[in-house]
Amino acid sequence: MIRRILALAATLAAMPFAVAQPMPEQPGGPLSSAAERVYDLAKPRILQVRTLLQAAGRQTTLGSGFVVSADGYAITNYHVVSSFALDPKTYRLEYLAPDGSKGGLALLAIDVAHDLAVVKIDRSGLPFFEFAPRALDGTLPKGERMYAMGNPLDLGFTIVEGTNNGLVDKSYDERIHFSGAINPGMSGGPVTDSDGRIVGVNVAKRLDGEQVGFLVPARFAAALLERARRGPVLVLDKAREEVGRQLDAWQSGFYEALARAGFRDASFGPYRGMESAAPWMTCWAFTNADQVPKPRAAINTTRCSSVTGLFVSDRILTGRVDVTYSYHKSIDLNAFQFAHEVSQQAGAASFDRGRRLTEQECTDDFLEGPPAGRPLLRARWCMRAYREFEGLYDVTVLALTQDRDREALLAQLVMQGVSHANAVALGKRFLESIRWAR
Amino acid sequence: MGAVMWIEVLSRHGEVAARERIEAPEARIGRAFDNDVVIDDPHVAAHHVRIFRADDGELVAEDLGSVNGLYPEHGASRVQRLPLAAGPGMRIGRTILRVHDASHSVAPEKPLTPPRAHATWAAGLGLAVIALLFGIEWMGTTTERSTNVMVLPLLGFATFIVLWSGLWALLSRLFFGQARFALQLRIALTACLAFLLWDQMGEWLSYGLAWPQLDDDATYGVWALVAVACYGHLVSIGPRHMRIAMGVIVALLAAGAAMQYAGKAEARRVAGEPATLGELKPPQFRLRPAVTVDRFLADTGTAKRAVDEARKREPTLGLFSETDGSD
Repeated sequence: MIRRILALAATLAAMPFAVAQPMPEQPGGPLSSAAERVYDLAKPRILQVRTLLQAAGRQTTLGSGFVVSADGYAITNYHVVSSFALDPKTYRLEYLAPDGSKGGLALLAIDVAHDLAVVKIDRSGLPFFEFAPRALDGTLPKGERMYAMGNPLDLGFTIVEGTNNGLVDKSYDERIHFSGAINPGMSGGPVTDSDGRIVGVNVAKRLDGEQVGFLVPARFAAALLERARRGPVLVLDKAREEVGRQLDAWQSGFYEALARAGFRDASFGPYRGMESAAPWMTCWAFTNADQVPKPRAAINTTRCSSVTGLFVSDRILTGRVDVTYSYHKSIDLNAFQFAHEVSQQAGAASFDRGRRLTEQECTDDFLEGPPAGRPLLRARWCMRAYREFEGLYDVTVLALTQDRDREALLAQLVMQGVSHANAVALGKRFLESIRWAR
Repeated sequence: MGAVMWIEVLSRHGEVAARERIEAPEARIGRAFDNDVVIDDPHVAAHHVRIFRADDGELVAEDLGSVNGLYPEHGASRVQRLPLAAGPGMRIGRTILRVHDASHSVAPEKPLTPPRAHATWAAGLGLAVIALLFGIEWMGTTTERSTNVMVLPLLGFATFIVLWSGLWALLSRLFFGQARFALQLRIALTACLAFLLWDQMGEWLSYGLAWPQLDDDATYGVWALVAVACYGHLVSIGPRHMRIAMGVIVALLAAGAAMQYAGKAEARRVAGEPATLGELKPPQFRLRPAVTVDRFLADTGTAKRAVDEARKREPTLGLFSETDGSD
């Protein structure tokens, strides 16, 4: 699972860096000279983006950013400025430049889906970064050296050398896989080629890997900048509505893409279910066969998950779809014991979604489809609404086959941040796909 | 013949402590030894009251000039003369007396419970409860089978029942005079059997009707069952203040039920319903007819409306939940 780098408060202890990255020989002099050159160029153009608590005047979160025009337009991550965007009365934004100068920042545009924001410094005649045309075309070769900059853990402005590894496979969102150390506080910072031109924006890293970082491709930043220049400026009081609109647009695009990618049958014992053909749905299998003491019912589970995660605020991460099938078969349980065994498994892992979502409401029934070849189902539909974003829900659909008393397929569909219509559409496909394998 | 009367002196607990047969037309009662009925109560005069027959033959009590006076048994106002036709009881000092005519009618003879009838019943009920418990336990055991797992809950249950019945037997010994443990055990086991059947009915109906909430709500019925059981125990003891005792028990149980309800309502208000299927049973026990997928999905509109309504309400801090703030 990709965890975003949150612009963490500076109180967070710095992680120990153990090993320096081994670097291959490169013609044209020592490697450090390139980084030195890039940093010299970048120094007047990079920023630390600080979210301050209005009342205390102290920082609550930190991130990075970079100037992209002479009249003060700068790019950062949406998640760096999300507190301010969602609650401009409590927070304010400030930048700190490497030369020590600081000042206020205006928020002009946000792109929640790509985790980007355009802010503006009230100064002109500034040196600024240009976008690398090769990045906009998407023709950067794998293995090319890249330089990520920012202010990790509030330790000071830093440049990190790393390697371009192209777009991440199996990801719905376009993300560049950057092999280099990205750390909290660098979010929103620029990543350039060796000429100091922007190829991407620092956004995330894998917590379970080493030096596995992710960048937003430069073209999304260029597009948002264009939108900020041309389009109407974000009205701060309406920023929440804008976030809601973008989330809604994202989910409709996502579910459309899911439907377009299509579904294929997947077998689970004597039953069949659906499996997305989208390359960005990742499936894992689990079994209880190796359990000690020996299980009295065999449970084989397959979970497919879109590795999507939309950061909305500190408390809301959304945009995920999980489809889980558990095939249960009794080994020596009788029908009653088997039913009890399944009841204990038939619970969705309940994410604590806090009070940002409403309480959950459910509806239950037994389902029978008209077409032959479909077993009777016991189904439950549960949903919660996002308090802050109208028309978006977290939905869980549970279905259990009811045609046999010592084996059953337990299917579960979890959709986060979905419209009711899209949830119903995928829910229908999901429920109707549960069939007997012939 | 009509001249005979009986004077009963009651103990503090309301039982007859002494009963005197008076054949004279008049009886005198007081602390002095020249009375017909002598009472050891410092608040009673040496010659406190006399009982005689009025012209119509009815018995009347008359105060003989005592300091503390004469009262009807349940009355608060002092009287000089007390006709005993209305009620046989009177109060002098701290002593309660009752005067009965020889013609006083008595309650019909109660048939004797056959010997060991309660014990036999209790044994039968006990076996039924154990069988049912064992069955429930066995159906719910999906992990390793072990004797301990099966026997422990039974032992715990048996201990509880014996303690509960013992407590009522003790009360019975105090107020009724006999412990009658077998009867208390019989009442307790009847209630247990009813509880187990009720609980199972909740589970099976909850599955059969695809209505998980039902199983949850059935727990309120348990409070009513406990109240009925307590009523049964009380009747067997037959305390003087039956209504007060039952009132206290009902109030306590109602408070328990209300607390449980408040807890559940609070959890529901904050978290809502869990995304689980509840306790499942083999598919043969389905009661509700199946609907089509489209119908089911159309019904999700109800849940949608409910959460849409909920999002308009400002969330308040839950009793059991922490604030969801930014940290």
